[in-house]
Amino acid sequence: MPAAISNSLQTIPEVQAAIAAGEPLFLAGSRSALSQLPRGNWVGGTISYFMADEGGLRAEDRIFVTPIPSFAFHTRAEDYGPEDLARIYRDAPVHGFTFLVLPAGTQVHRLFAQQAPLFEGFLLRPVVGWVTGVPVDRIGLDVPAVFNGRTGAVLEDRCAALHVALPPTKMADLDTVNIFESAGGEVIRFSEIGFRVSQCRVGGKQANLADYISEQGISTEIPLIGDYSGSSINVSIQKVDPAAHTVDLYAPVFPGVDYRFAKPIMDYEEAFTRQIDAQDAEPYFACNCILNYRYGHLEGKKTGNITGPITFGEIAHQLLNQTMVRLYLRDIG
Amino acid sequence: MLPDASHPVWEQIATGKKPLESRRPTVNLLIHSNKMSYEKDQSLPNVRHLAEKTHSFFSHYEALFPPEVAQILR
Repeated sequence: MPAAISNSLQTIPEVQAAIAAGEPLFLAGSRSALSQLPRGNWVGGTISYFMADEGGLRAEDRIFVTPIPSFAFHTRAEDYGPEDLARIYRDAPVHGFTFLVLPAGTQVHRLFAQQAPLFEGFLLRPVVGWVTGVPVDRIGLDVPAVFNGRTGAVLEDRCAALHVALPPTKMADLDTVNIFESAGGEVIRFSEIGFRVSQCRVGGKQANLADYISEQGISTEIPLIGDYSGSSINVSIQKVDPAAHTVDLYAPVFPGVDYRFAKPIMDYEEAFTRQIDAQDAEPYFACNCILNYRYGHLEGKKTGNITGPITFGEIAHQLLNQTMVRLYLRDIG
Repeated sequence: MLPDASHPVWEQIATGKKPLESRRPTVNLLIHSNKMSYEKDQSLPNVRHLAEKTHSFFSHYEALFPPEVAQILR
């Protein structure tokens, strides 16, 4: 039997009713909207941007709902701080997946970004989700948060997870849509993990990344693309400080990864639609990046048939930037 | 049917001696993680650990990644 509430943007009373009916939910909405929900088996995070059926939009009074399918064995909402972040993987079901929301700019966000690949259970226990945010015109004024609906906690320094156990006939499959491709320039390498970088090696020679960006006239809308053995993982530029010769990033760079800058995208809507139309199945959950939304002017536009929250960072096993993430629940029985 | 955990193919994959081609991020993150670990530590215990991790990964995800499993069996 399908869940009673559908995977889409819903009004607050609709979500209140679904929670009251006992439905486990993964939610995205403004702090004001999420604060009006009763306790229940749900987690959520603050965001005000969505890719809805009618296209990209900002909404403060609606909530994007991902209901947990009725075939799930069980679900449980939990929250974690920096001190017990690795417990996510111990609490995650052996067969299932975990929805995760991380508040932007927090220690738990940074720790997950830097250390998730080192945690026992990484990859084998799929974690999918996103980084919470605030309206762009409220950055620095409002604070991103996550909600643990089970306890009623509103958390600004912890992450919230909804662990979902699946039957043996189903399997969680995470995938990404990355519209960026390498421009093919010189390889950039870093010697340390970091969200703020200065020194690097460009084409094997010592360089300063901020200086290199300025000298080459590289737009800060263009991400670095890391080559992970054939898969491209983006790292987006938050700010270049020419005086301090530093570059702030929305995700960390890692040693041992070859990075190159991406080619610019002329038409984000067309780029997403082209890649998504090539896929036949509709994902169970998807999210896309606020930078794609802003730089691609996606308000009022669609990205194929994909809907979901527009977020301050995406999670498909590890933290990603400027990427669409998709969760499929495949039949394997 | 995948070879058992003691089969040499897992060490070959874990150390990059048997390359796997994949378009799936989940698979490539494993290969990348193995590569990073092997570059730092080429000791036999670490190679064995990576081989076991790789075997566990494909045992878990066998149904999702048929092209990659076909390469392992080849």
